[in-house]
Amino acid sequence: MGILLGGLYSLVALGLSLVFGVMKLINVAHGDLVLMSTYLAFSMMTSFGLDPILSLVIGMPVMFVIGFAIQRYLLNRAFKISMEAPLIIAFGISIILQNFYQIVWTPLSRGLTPSYAMLSFSIGGLNVPLVYGLDFAVSLIVMLALREFMKRTYVGQAINAASQDRGAAQLMGINANRVYAFAFAIAMVLAAIAGVFLGLTFPFTPQSGVSFLIIAFGVVVLGGLGSIAGTFIGGLVMGLAQTLGGYFIGTGAQMFVAYLIVFIVLGVRPQGIFGR
Amino acid sequence: MKVNPFRLRGGLAPLLIATVLLALFPLIGVPQNWLLYLFLFFIYLALANMWNWLAGYCGLISLCQPAFIGIGGYTLALMTWVGLPIWQGLIAGAIIAALFAVIISIPVFRLSGIYFAVGTLIVPELLRLFFLNWRPVGGLLYGKGAGYAVKGATTIPATDIYWLTLIICIGSVLMMRFILRSNLGLGLAAIRDNASSAASSGINVFKLKFYSFVGSAAITGLAGAAFYIQQGFIEPTSAFNVRWTMVLMLATVIGGVRLEEGPAVGAIIVVFLHFLLARYGGVSLLIQGVILVFIMLIAPQGIMGSVRRALSHRTPHLRRQPARTRG
Repeated sequence: MGILLGGLYSLVALGLSLVFGVMKLINVAHGDLVLMSTYLAFSMMTSFGLDPILSLVIGMPVMFVIGFAIQRYLLNRAFKISMEAPLIIAFGISIILQNFYQIVWTPLSRGLTPSYAMLSFSIGGLNVPLVYGLDFAVSLIVMLALREFMKRTYVGQAINAASQDRGAAQLMGINANRVYAFAFAIAMVLAAIAGVFLGLTFPFTPQSGVSFLIIAFGVVVLGGLGSIAGTFIGGLVMGLAQTLGGYFIGTGAQMFVAYLIVFIVLGVRPQGIFGR
Repeated sequence: MKVNPFRLRGGLAPLLIATVLLALFPLIGVPQNWLLYLFLFFIYLALANMWNWLAGYCGLISLCQPAFIGIGGYTLALMTWVGLPIWQGLIAGAIIAALFAVIISIPVFRLSGIYFAVGTLIVPELLRLFFLNWRPVGGLLYGKGAGYAVKGATTIPATDIYWLTLIICIGSVLMMRFILRSNLGLGLAAIRDNASSAASSGINVFKLKFYSFVGSAAITGLAGAAFYIQQGFIEPTSAFNVRWTMVLMLATVIGGVRLEEGPAVGAIIVVFLHFLLARYGGVSLLIQGVILVFIMLIAPQGIMGSVRRALSHRTPHLRRQPARTRG
């Protein structure tokens, strides 16, 4: 169970990790942006009866455009101002989104509940909910796809180049600002996928973004920043630790245990367990 | 700590006059709701000053100020339940908040820059979950989680609370003055401009930042406790809320980060906004968020920063180049 959940966590963290790896920015609004996709899927499900996973066909391009716009018009400018400006702006975006959700979708706890949300299958006597299995499978696929994308396409290579050395990349004729915008947009597509599967797995409220962010941050810290494989392992560790913690202390303490793990890891090994 | 006493005096007269005027307000029959606005202004200004100290002068973007506010408030509330007088609860609130800052500085001070910000963001969330499940004294439950009434808060006249917060606020202003003109402030300025060259000229970077973090936590805790005397009730979700971070960040950014008078100007605007938008509930915070983003993009040096720049064009000897860093 914990490992399957860990797949979901690494999916949430992947976008954060990408943005950090490329722009050295911890996007404080990441959790709320993930939640945006969840709410989009929720709206499409309730008003058009569209399946949440199918709704990603619309959700992913929408998030791509939003991500591109945020980076292009807000963050790229902020990078020029000072070191803390992007962080403060991301914080502002997070507050704006939280309150926006509260106005549009009310503070009630919601869930994405298509017909298959309640189904489960059994492996070796363990009864596993279907969505948990889906979470894991999808996160594996997305992770491999991202890896191939970064290696084989021009945009992927340009992102890699710009993240290693911005100046040198620009000398090679790469437009760093544009590449940053693409990287952020791709991170938002990842967030879109993560959002839908989070919504399928857990109930959510407009305030859930902060807890998503902290989980994602914890995964990234555990796995070492910027590496795809590290993020995946970090996610598994996080999911396992949280489930075990919940099992021994009580389900109410699950989130508390997760936060505590992040905090302890930060104190003991800030570069991450698998970081160099 | 060495202080240059001559530099402390400049501009002290207007501050003194303002303080006396504000202190006289309740006696000359100023309307109650005005006093309430001013009360909020005092609290916000104290909080914003403390954030400016950390973010502006130490380069520590602390997102855990709500933790100190909540701890100050909870200490006060719990002390009144044990049966101790309120003023002791206030002081205990400041002390416990400072102690807590010492404890969390162990993990978060290993982080720098942007890591520090996210590391501190976790702290209020951690505390919120903790206080939702923890109920040290008293059996009565008010609403969800561990909400506490501040016992005896209703017996304190509103004017006393007003004066108390005025003292805390002016205290925080004087404290900033003192710090910026002492060798602590000079050390911090040196660190801000170039940390490694400051360290190589004999400044203990860690120590200065640590003192600042703990000191700021103490005053933030005190202001938080004072706020909850007026509220009379505390519960985890509002005490450890990111809304606090939003308010004090907004006040500092509007007024001008890294400027002594920035938070004061910003706090006036924030209180003004607060009451202007109070009727619209959730939209109010949304608008504040939009303002924060826009100010940061259009005028990152804030109102007072722009004013200073405009003035320095007329009087060139005052011109100061802001330190620019890029990460």
